[in-house]
Amino acid sequence: MMPIWTKSGEKHAVTLLKVQDCHVLRYVSKEESGGKTAKLLVGGKNVSPFSKPESAHEIFREAGVPRKQKVTTFNVTDDAIIKPGTPLYAAHFRPGQFVDVTAKTIGKGFQGVMKRWGFKGQPASHGQTKTHRRPGAISTNQAAKVYRGKKMPGKMGNIYRTSFGLKVWRINTKHDIIYVNGSVPGHTSCLVKVRDSKLPTYKDCNKNPPFPTFFADGDEELPEDLFDEEIFQFTDPSVTFA
Amino acid sequence: RVSSDGKPPKFQPPPKPVIIDRKTKKEESRFLSPEFIPPRGRKDPLKYYIERKDMIQRRKVFNIPEFYVGHILAVTTANPLASDKSSRFVGICIQRGGTGLGATFVLRNVIEDQGVEICYELYSPRIQAIEVLKLEKRLDENLMYLRDALPEYSTVDVNMKPVPRMDHEEIPVNKVQVRMKPKPWSKRWERPKYNIKGIKFELPEHKMQAAQKWSQPWLEFDMLREYDTSKIEEKIRKELSEELEK
Repeated sequence: MMPIWTKSGEKHAVTLLKVQDCHVLRYVSKEESGGKTAKLLVGGKNVSPFSKPESAHEIFREAGVPRKQKVTTFNVTDDAIIKPGTPLYAAHFRPGQFVDVTAKTIGKGFQGVMKRWGFKGQPASHGQTKTHRRPGAISTNQAAKVYRGKKMPGKMGNIYRTSFGLKVWRINTKHDIIYVNGSVPGHTSCLVKVRDSKLPTYKDCNKNPPFPTFFADGDEELPEDLFDEEIFQFTDPSVTFA
Repeated sequence: RVSSDGKPPKFQPPPKPVIIDRKTKKEESRFLSPEFIPPRGRKDPLKYYIERKDMIQRRKVFNIPEFYVGHILAVTTANPLASDKSSRFVGICIQRGGTGLGATFVLRNVIEDQGVEICYELYSPRIQAIEVLKLEKRLDENLMYLRDALPEYSTVDVNMKPVPRMDHEEIPVNKVQVRMKPKPWSKRWERPKYNIKGIKFELPEHKMQAAQKWSQPWLEFDMLREYDTSKIEEKIRKELSEELEK
């Protein structure tokens, strides 16, 4: 995470996400998947092929791509279908866009009810016998049962969670890095899924993104760094208020 | 002198004077700002490389002078609420923290009997100028104990003129022993974990010895805590000198 300053001098914290060897693996049509839209399977981060059996390598062999650590699905409309095997780059996103980032949260193991659900527990003194971090009552008398989904101790973390509506401030095309506003679930250097935001406020936000994706062998030559309009770039002199 | 053939002796040019340039010796012990050194951790070194590129960009446009804890600095920042749209603060640097673009330094001064500390970010675009008024190192790297010291040690004249200094002189170390206000202090500065050498403790002997109970003499031999930065520093120095010459 890094600080970033706007032209008016405000500071925002920013997370750096690296797009490492992402390739489209397979196209699944609407009828095949049984959903409302077609799907594209995308894999990221190359990994050694020797730790999995040959049967698991079929998808990668068809796409002509080394084995990937993570495979995710993206729901795409019919005009955004990409041929399997095309690499995906950070320039697929542009500064000023809003994205949702999904990742597995940091695993905390088996945790008690105070850490997991934020219960208040009991006082430390004034006669409490062996009861300081316990849940207390778990149901009422009339219910005569414990409801399903009752908050109790258990394994916390290591589940997929999404941060919605994060602004993209800057894109580094040379190293394929996306600067995304705020924090993102997961530990440092964990695998993350970045998707165009589904929030209703950002529905019409993307002005001319590269569609269906950014092709590196095309005619477009992008500069090394793409900045949002409001970012203070370090090549400018210091900020002054007129 | 008598020559062999009787002709006047051949003109011998005088020996060339040998100039010992003392300035070249300073190049070896150059200052590397502490925020360039990445902390020990699991992060990808690419992140620190990218941050360093941004820091170098900022340093090309805006001059961040070499300074240590104990120097007296004057900082002018852009302030939308002030009448001149800029505000100037003079103070002693008591702490330098953070790594990368978020590096900060805290300046302390006593203005009209009120102690004021301001924490500035080195790479913030609102800073318009940093001037070093007086260069002097202190015995410690963290002068937070000035909060509990008598106010005379933290007062700095706001209209102080910059003290001139030659480039090749070494930075002087001010070995002043600061006198403290009566206890209680904000932190127990007599304890060995702070390792403070700049305070004149006027506590009784038994209290100083009781404080040594919290000493951890095994810490300096702990090999897992060692973080040797010499090689990293060399690489970063090389990178810096290459980029700044461009």
